[in-house]
Amino acid sequence: MAWRNLWRYGRRTVTTIAAMTLALLTLIVWTSFVQGFLRDLETTIVEVEIGDVQVYPPDYRTQPSIFDRIGTPTELVDTLGAMGFEASARLLGGGLAAAGEASAGVSLRGVETEQDARVSVVYDRVAQGSWLDPSDPTGVVIGGRLARTLDVGVGDELVLLGQATDGSIANGLYSVRGILAPFSEATDRGGVFLVRQAFLDFFVLPGGAHQVVVRNAADQPLEASAARIRAAAPGLDVLTWRELFPTLATMIDSVESTMYILFFIVYLAIAILLINATLMAVFERIKELGLLKAVGLSPARVVWLILWEGLFQAALAAAAGLILSVPLLFYFTRVGIDLAALGGQISISGIGMDPYMRGVVNPTIFVGPLSAMFVIVLLSMLYPALKAARIKPVEAMRHQ
Amino acid sequence: MTNGQRQDGTVVALRDVTKLYQQGSLEVQALRGLDLTVRKGEFTALIGPSGSGKTTTLNLIGGLDSPTSGSVRVEGVDLGTLNRKQLSRLRRDRIGFVFQSYNLIPVLTAYENAEMVMWVQGVPVADRRKRVMDLLNAVGLEGLKDRKPTELSGGQQQRVAIARAIASDPAVVLADEPTANVDSETAETLISLMETLNRDRGVTFLFSTHDHRVVERVKRVVRLVDGRVDSDEAR
Ligand SMILES: Nc1ncnc2c1ncn2[C@@H]1O[C@H](COP(=O)(O)OP(=O)(O)OP(=O)(O)O)[C@@H](O)[C@H]1O
Ligand SMILES: [Mg+2]
Repeated sequence: MAWRNLWRYGRRTVTTIAAMTLALLTLIVWTSFVQGFLRDLETTIVEVEIGDVQVYPPDYRTQPSIFDRIGTPTELVDTLGAMGFEASARLLGGGLAAAGEASAGVSLRGVETEQDARVSVVYDRVAQGSWLDPSDPTGVVIGGRLARTLDVGVGDELVLLGQATDGSIANGLYSVRGILAPFSEATDRGGVFLVRQAFLDFFVLPGGAHQVVVRNAADQPLEASAARIRAAAPGLDVLTWRELFPTLATMIDSVESTMYILFFIVYLAIAILLINATLMAVFERIKELGLLKAVGLSPARVVWLILWEGLFQAALAAAAGLILSVPLLFYFTRVGIDLAALGGQISISGIGMDPYMRGVVNPTIFVGPLSAMFVIVLLSMLYPALKAARIKPVEAMRHQ
Repeated sequence: MTNGQRQDGTVVALRDVTKLYQQGSLEVQALRGLDLTVRKGEFTALIGPSGSGKTTTLNLIGGLDSPTSGSVRVEGVDLGTLNRKQLSRLRRDRIGFVFQSYNLIPVLTAYENAEMVMWVQGVPVADRRKRVMDLLNAVGLEGLKDRKPTELSGGQQQRVAIARAIASDPAVVLADEPTANVDSETAETLISLMETLNRDRGVTFLFSTHDHRVVERVKRVVRLVDGRVDSDEAR
């Protein structure tokens, strides 16, 4: 429509649209990264290490002891399976690992490989060699830093020492089957994974488990699931990952609120820019608006004229922002940013992060920034629009 | 909207109108009890010395300003009883405006400027097109419809403004010194154009002017002095 011509798209309009585009682009990419970061963090915590919910023998958490065990872990795993939860029983114990002249304190974990694969992707984090195999009971998988401390590689021999439940000195000769990529401080430094039977044999244990790791379906609220698990595991200690790693949980929450703070700051700047640019535009066109009002354009339609103008600019910025975000997101989701290059190993609360920070792409990374932008545009156009609606034709047209 | 005033052809009626402008501590009595009636089909010039209240009078009739006291009626409707929205609608549908300057929007073509009031009214595009072409013909601008105001002479610009003013079939066209910014020859052709529109289309005109050559040709001349009607001559 020719009436679009009323608004000369001057340099200021171009600047405004460019600023909105940049803001939108920044927030889309930022949201993509924050969501990617949170996803990676949760994945690292939940999928690799600890699961969503853990079940312990009573008091084990305050005073871990090889003697305190869940007596019938298989039953519990089956019960939880019937409730729709994937679960796996683990055995935990402390000991000493030695190779040649070197030795180090280690934490031993006995897992049933097939069952554990349903709750943890630790098998996927083997940097060298391969994951545990029940057909190779003396094969162990150890943390990367531990391997360096002991100066062992895949295929090398390893002696484990410990206190068996029958009072004897537990010891055995094992071979390094696999070395893990770093994902958590503790595992990296001293984690030794054994197949369940090897663990039982080492400590002379009849059975049981020290920990049952449970996964929660993504669409189920964590606390509600924890309550159901609690009901299914009477007398046992049931904790969510948020309770196990409270600092991590608060950190994740604060990352999310940081995200909104940035939204706020960026859009506040945009709002100020918009209010200023629109007020200037209204002022510049005061004679036009005065004339239009004189010939009978109602105040309400003047408001709409200005609002449409803002929405039109926002629509252009939205289109430009979305189009420009495609190559950026393509790059950032595939390649990511190498944080290691910026400052080495990233570790939060002892949970090591993938040094490559990657974005994610899903509708929410667009919906949030976009809808926020349109709301901001409408809100910040309102004041100039109302001001324009109040223009008195006689004064406006006398304006120089 | 039927009433006595309308039946006797009264389009504009000002009764005992005063207008006091207040600028800080400064008070200016622009109108001091003005009475004026304009009937349908009249061609009236408003004259008088500078500051006598001509512009003020036209602004009050056009609903662009409100009187301090007295009543201003257009087609029997007291403008004092209308809210902002109703006043907008009255200006849109019943009043045509030609201003002394800044009549046209610089970024729009002659065609678009002439179309403006009808766009505001929401007239369908096809009807608009037909009417605008007819009006541009009537004011003698057929070949210039795509020109921007800066590409038109002062007289041509005022013709566009006149076309726009009569586009909505207003009850009255108010023109404040429409010939002030053009040479006297052009002024005469503009007045001739207005006369023709008055005669052939029955458009009611009320305009202010300082131009004596224009005044000589007009049927009714109302002279204001100090915010009052000093003389009202029909010829
Ligand atoms: N907005 C205003 N504020 C204060 N005083 C005003 C205002 N508009 C007009 N006046 C004063 O009111 C009086 C009448 O002004 P008006 O413009 O109606 O005169 P006019 O007859 O149109 O004069 P001119 O021939 O110079 O155009 C003048 O004294 C003028 O200074
Ligand atoms: Mg004047």
